[in-house]
Parts: sequence; C-alpha cells; structure tokens
Amino acid sequence: MSDANANKGMIRRFLDLPTDSVAKTIFIATTLCLVASMIVSAAAVALRPIQEVNKLKDKQVNILQVAGLFDPSEDVVEAFGAFEPHVLEIATGQFTEEFDATTFDDRAAAGDPELSIALADDPASIGRQAKFVTVYLLRNADGSLDKVVLPIHGYGLWSTLYGFIAIEENGNDIFGLQFYQHGETPGLGAEVDNPRWKSLWSGKKLADDAGALQISVTKTAPAAGADHHIDALAGATLTTVGVHNLVRFWMGEAGYGPFLTNLKAGEF
Amino acid sequence: MGLRNFFDRIEPNFTKGGRWEKYFPIYEMVESFLYTPKTVTTGAPHARSYVDMKRIMTYVVIATIPAILVGLYNIGFQVNTAFETLGPSGWRATILDALGIGFNAANPVLNMLHGLLYFLPIYITTLVVGGIWEVIFATIRRHEVNEGFLVTSMLYTLIMPPDVPLWQVGLGISFGVVIGKEVFGGTGKNFLNPALVGRAFLYFAYPADMSGDTIWTPVDGFSGATNLAVAASRGYQEIVVGGTTWMDSFIGIEQGSIGETSVLACLIGLGFLLFTKIANWRLIVGCLGGMILFSSLLNLVGSDTNPMFAMPWYWHLVLGGYAFGLVFMVTEPVSASHTNMGRFIYGALIGFMVVMIRVVNPAFPEGMMLAILFGNVFAPLIDYFVVQSNIRRRARRNV
Amino acid sequence: MSQTRKEMLVDPLVDNNPITLQVLGICSALAVTSSLQVAFVMSIAVTLVTAFSSMFISMLRNHIPSSIRIIVQMVIIASLVILVDQVLKAYAFEISKTLSVFVGLIITNCIVMGRAEAFAMKNPPVASFIDGIGNGLGYGLILMMVGVIRELFGSGSLFGVTVFETVNNGGWYVPNGLLLLPPSAFFIIGLIIWAFRTWKPDQVEEREYKIQVVGDH
Repeated sequence: MSDANANKGMIRRFLDLPTDSVAKTIFIATTLCLVASMIVSAAAVALRPIQEVNKLKDKQVNILQVAGLFDPSEDVVEAFGAFEPHVLEIATGQFTEEFDATTFDDRAAAGDPELSIALADDPASIGRQAKFVTVYLLRNADGSLDKVVLPIHGYGLWSTLYGFIAIEENGNDIFGLQFYQHGETPGLGAEVDNPRWKSLWSGKKLADDAGALQISVTKTAPAAGADHHIDALAGATLTTVGVHNLVRFWMGEAGYGPFLTNLKAGEF
Repeated sequence: MGLRNFFDRIEPNFTKGGRWEKYFPIYEMVESFLYTPKTVTTGAPHARSYVDMKRIMTYVVIATIPAILVGLYNIGFQVNTAFETLGPSGWRATILDALGIGFNAANPVLNMLHGLLYFLPIYITTLVVGGIWEVIFATIRRHEVNEGFLVTSMLYTLIMPPDVPLWQVGLGISFGVVIGKEVFGGTGKNFLNPALVGRAFLYFAYPADMSGDTIWTPVDGFSGATNLAVAASRGYQEIVVGGTTWMDSFIGIEQGSIGETSVLACLIGLGFLLFTKIANWRLIVGCLGGMILFSSLLNLVGSDTNPMFAMPWYWHLVLGGYAFGLVFMVTEPVSASHTNMGRFIYGALIGFMVVMIRVVNPAFPEGMMLAILFGNVFAPLIDYFVVQSNIRRRARRNV
Repeated sequence: MSQTRKEMLVDPLVDNNPITLQVLGICSALAVTSSLQVAFVMSIAVTLVTAFSSMFISMLRNHIPSSIRIIVQMVIIASLVILVDQVLKAYAFEISKTLSVFVGLIITNCIVMGRAEAFAMKNPPVASFIDGIGNGLGYGLILMMVGVIRELFGSGSLFGVTVFETVNNGGWYVPNGLLLLPPSAFFIIGLIIWAFRTWKPDQVEEREYKIQVVGDH
C-alpha cells in the first residue's frame, strides 16, 4: 500500500492524460491485465484445494455407489476409507508397488506412451489401453475379500462411457455397474443411468461353469441363459452394443481376465 | 340441386355482417369441398388455368390411392402371417373374430380389412386433431380452411408406423400443423412440409415408438426389423437371406410404415402426378440423380466396418421411405425450389443427403425424412442463387 | 436519465427482454435448460456477471481508450466469469459438472457484452449495476420458463423432484425425448416470443414489405 501512495502522483498524471493517447492506452491495458490476472489467479489458488477434494469425492461417491455402500448422510471420505486401492498391472493380474495407488492417474496413464499400449483388436474403441490401472478392494470385518471395484470405459454412440463394475470375491458374480461420465442421447442411451436398468446387473455371472465369458447386453437372451444376460436399453441400439462390447472387452483376457483368474484362485 | 340452394340460402349468415360471420371459414370449407371455389382473382394480371388449389390437392390425394391399397394389404398380410405362429392378440383381432372374418393371410381381402383397422384410427385421429387446429387458426386469422390439409393428413398417416399410439398421432399432427405451417402464415407460406415436421417431432420425441424392431408389425411378441435396419447392421445381402427379395421390397411386402413400403404403388402415383403436371419432373430427376451418383460413389469407396457403404442404388430406391418421399414429398410445390435450375439442385441435394444420412450416420438408419426437411430449409437459398446468377447472366448480355 | 431505477429493473423482464426482444444469449438458453436446477444456477451466474461487469466498466468508462474498448470490456468480463467458474467448481461441483463449458461461455454471451457496450459505457455505475441485474433477470425469466417446460415434459420432474412418474421407472408418463435435446428450446423460445408479441403487439417489428391485396371475398 505504501508503494501505491508514493506513486500516487504518477497514477494521477496517467489518469489525467487524454483518454486516447498512446501512453494512457498502454497504461490502462497494463494495469487492467495486472489487476485482472491477480484476482483470477488468487481465486484459482485459493479455491484449488476445495476443488480437488470435490473431484476426488465425486469419484469416491461413484465407487461407493457401485459397491452399494453409498449413504448420503455419511461422510464420503470416511466411508471410502473402507476401500483398499491398489495399482494393478493388467497383463499379469498382479498388484504393483511401482506407483502410489492414492495418486495414480488412470486417464493420464492411458495417454502416456510409456504406460500404455495401442490396441490392435479394440472392440471397446478406446484406442490406447493403460498397462496399469487403479482397482479398489473391499474387505469383510474378518479381513477376507468382499468385492472388487474395477474401472471400465469404452465407446457408445456419441461418447466414451466411463464407469465402474463391482465384482464379488468369487471373481464371477457381478454386484453392480455404474457409469459416471458419458454423453449419450438423453432419454435413450443416457438411460444407462436409470436405476432400474442398473439394478439388472446385480447377481449376473460373467462366465459359465466351463469358464467361457458369456456376459451379454442384447435384446434377446442368448443360449447361455438369463444368468449371463442383461436386457438392452429400449431404443438405444448402438449404446447397448457399446456397453456390451466394453464389458466383454474389460472382462476378457485383454482386460481384467488375468486378475479375475487370480481372484478366483483366492490370491488376494 | 337442393344442396346448392341450401348453401346459397345460408351463405348470407356467414358473410360480412352475417350472424355467424366468425364461422365463415367452416362454411367455406364445407362448401368448397363440395363445389368449385367461387373466389377468382380480381386484380390484374389474369392467367386462365383449369388448375386451382383444390384440384391440385385432390389429385395428390388420388395419387396416394395405390400406396394406401398396398399399405392396407401389407399390414394385414404381415399381421395375419404373424398370427399364424404367435396367435391372435389385440382388440382388432377381437373385432375380426366376432365378425367371423378370421385371419387368413392368403386372402387379400381379409388382409386389407385387417389393415383398414390399423389405417382408419390413425387417419381419423389425424383428421380430427389437425382439423381442429386448422379451424382455430382459420377462424382467428379469417382465412379459409385449405384443402392442403387433406393432403397433409393423408401423407402424415401413410408415414406412420402401424402401431403408433393414437395420442402420439394427435401430438405429431398438432406440431406439424402449428409449427410446420400456421406459425409461418398457413398454406402457401410453409417452407417446411407439415406432414414431415409432425413425423420428425414424433421421431425425436418418442423414438422408442417410432423406430426399432417391434413397431412395424403390431403383434405381441413379434420382432422384425425394417430391411433398412437389417442392411445397416449386417449388410444388404442379408435382406435376401432374411426372405425378402428385391421384388418383394419393390412391390411392398415388407416391414415399414403404413404407405411407404411399395415402390410400385408410389411409381403409379408418380405417373399420375406427372401426367397431370402437378409434380415437376426436374425434382424427380434431380433427386434420383443425386441418390444414384452418391451411392455409387460410396460403393466405389467402400468400407470394412460399415456395410451400408456397399449398398447399391437400386436397394436404396426400394428400401425405407425413399420412393414415397420422392413422389409425394420432394415434389410438394410449396416447400420445394421454384426455379427450374433450382429444382434440379434441390432434388440432387435431397438425393445426396438421404444416402449420406443412411450410410454415414450411425444413429439413423433412415434418412429420407431428415433429408427432405434439410432440402426444404435450403430451397429458398437455392432459388436466390439461381435468380442472382440469372440476373448476372442477362446483365452481361447487355454490356 | 429518463428511466427510473425501477423501470431499469423491470423493463428487461418483458418489454425489453434480452432473449425474446433483443434475441441475445440464445446459445446458452438452448444448452442449459433441460433441467431447472442448472438453468437456475446459470441465471444467477449470468445476472451476477452482467451486473458486476457493467458496474466495473461504468466505473472505468471515462478512462477506457476507445481503441482498446472492446478488449478492456472482455478482460473485465472474462475475469468475472473465471471467478464464477472457480467458485462453482469449489462449492457447487455437481452443477458445475452439468454446466461444463457453458459457464466459461458466459464470456461470449451477447447479453453481457451488449449491456456493457450499450449501457455501461454511457451511464454511471449504480445505474449500470441495476441495468445488469435487470437484464440478467430477464434472461433468467426466460431460462426458467423454458426449463419448466423442458424438465416437466422431458423428464417428468421439476427441480429434480418427480411430478409425473415415467414409464422407465414404472409409472405412466412417456417422456418427450425431443425436449431433452437442445433444439427443442428453439421451439419453446419461439412460442414464448409469439405469446409475448400477441400480448404486447408493439413488440412486433414492422414488415419489410407488404403483400398487396388484390381483392376481397
């Protein structure tokens, strides 16, 4: 402030210049930019921590919802403490300690040439698949495994759908599925958010007794039986095909196949 | 001529100063429906022609008759055939059963009777709801109810799926008449085709009832995609595998909207419209040319993932609403271009767009409706450029 | 100033509404009106930005060189918009997710620039502030009207509270999918303009040409 007072004479002089003079134009432009940038950056810096918490909370709420643990009256961070995050190496189906599971960024990894592979066979239309991904384990009180929550994504009709699938400890029963980000047609494809449709996933089985992947999202039940079948979304053929492909891709060998095999073997 | 006398006697009640002056449009509607309109142009210049609005509109309705007949037969045939395996269901079946008519798919007359039970409720709803709007606007704005509405309501009915809920029919025609026509000032000032506006409204508002596999043949448990949808998902070769030959599709025995399936019937109507000079041949040539050229180009380009690229033009012609749109919608004089050169361009634009939407857009297997509406929007602009280039050309001549 | 402050506030609601008469700010009116809650937050954001940017610009109006006038206005508006965006991200995360880019696009909302250029550059700060509030409210009024129609008939709810139970949730109401798509707002705004002009015929523009009447019945 004392600086400003000392310069007061100069500022006054500038303000008294004819408005359209070059000196004043430069003066106004510079001052305005300085003031505006200071306000904007101050706001951005001051609010960033709250925004980060919001983003994290948003993701955590989705994980809680898909695992059926979400309770609006409870503190999200506390409830989320029940989960055990791990970074999974997709190819081996084993956890890795190379990265910190609380800060690992799945989406950045999928874009990083070091950490991802370009898919030749790409039914989910995701382009590049990350080699590592964060998964969440939920344990019972006695320390035995209850469920795992796995992130999945793939292309629908207009957009990439991002979501989570929760699988029971036996590595075969689906507990729930939820998308948290997509841009599908409202009223049709966007019905992936419909609670009634989402509830159809509960209790379905990924593979048959022989271990072949049978899960499908189609209009009519396939030969494998209703245990492996989720009804298509009415009127949204291409979103349905997208969900079908992405679930089968992520649950297949190129996706979480190795991990699920390990899970069935009781490794975790 | 007792009726004529009756009209002459009551007419003073409806003209200026009469008791029911406000209801003149209703009187006029009934009267001119039965007799030649009395109104003649009073200002110069005069051109004598036997073609008045009423005659044009009546001829278009006449031209749709073959499409209606084949449509009735086709719905009845599809439903009766489905009944053979799935068993009869629905109130129409109850009526036909009670009358002892039965569901023999081999008998054309029975098929048509059954089809009529689908056609009539939709048509009557359209007439009543749309008619109410027409009368309301005519009364407020003090103009006549126009015969154009008879055409709109017939075309609208023919592009409905047979199983469409009647409340949706009413909503659609309301939207078509009000937004597609009356807000712009009524018949003659509508730059969009009102029947298509209504259909487009329903298509986006209630897609589950306007597209899919279960709406084309309204029998419980029946599922059958339109052949266009089959072609879009698995390639046009699969249509023949599925039991529909090109000839079936040409004659119109397949899944589809009420009056759209038969190319043959549309072509008969086209012949009539061309003979009476109501349809302009330039529009037809433009639209056919655009479609044939662009689909052939896409055949050459080819695609590994999209089977529609390979569909030849003669399949584009017989599938979906192309033929119906070509004959009855593209040729609609008000919403089309008005210059001769413009008509070629307008037609070609629609032909190009329909292939574009069908082949390239993953969400819409059928593109005729959207292509024509697209063309409607561009028609005035096309005319503008044609007129401008004409002015420039003539100006150069006189340098 | 010929207008009183009350007039400045009320005038833009119907008589000089930025959307229906000036036809400004249509872009965001299409994008954010499928749910009332989002439309409501957007209305508040636009009102605040318009009011404060008008006020600041008016305070500086005698010192703004005309050669960089528009840029100065843009900088002020943009800073305010970023501020609003940051605050929403911090305190109304769910809503800022649905509003997404449209908060940022308030910068390009013609209402804000339009009021700055047409009013704030010539009037004192308090009047400019009130004018900004009034225009923001006029914008908000239309947004809410469109929002009510779209959410009620498109999703069967108001402010997220179910009014008509939809078929997909086991009820009777078949939602109108067209209303969930942005173009539907065009039709609704058009109908609102129609209604306004029927109510207040002096809003109707003069015809560019007249169709000659050649005869009567």
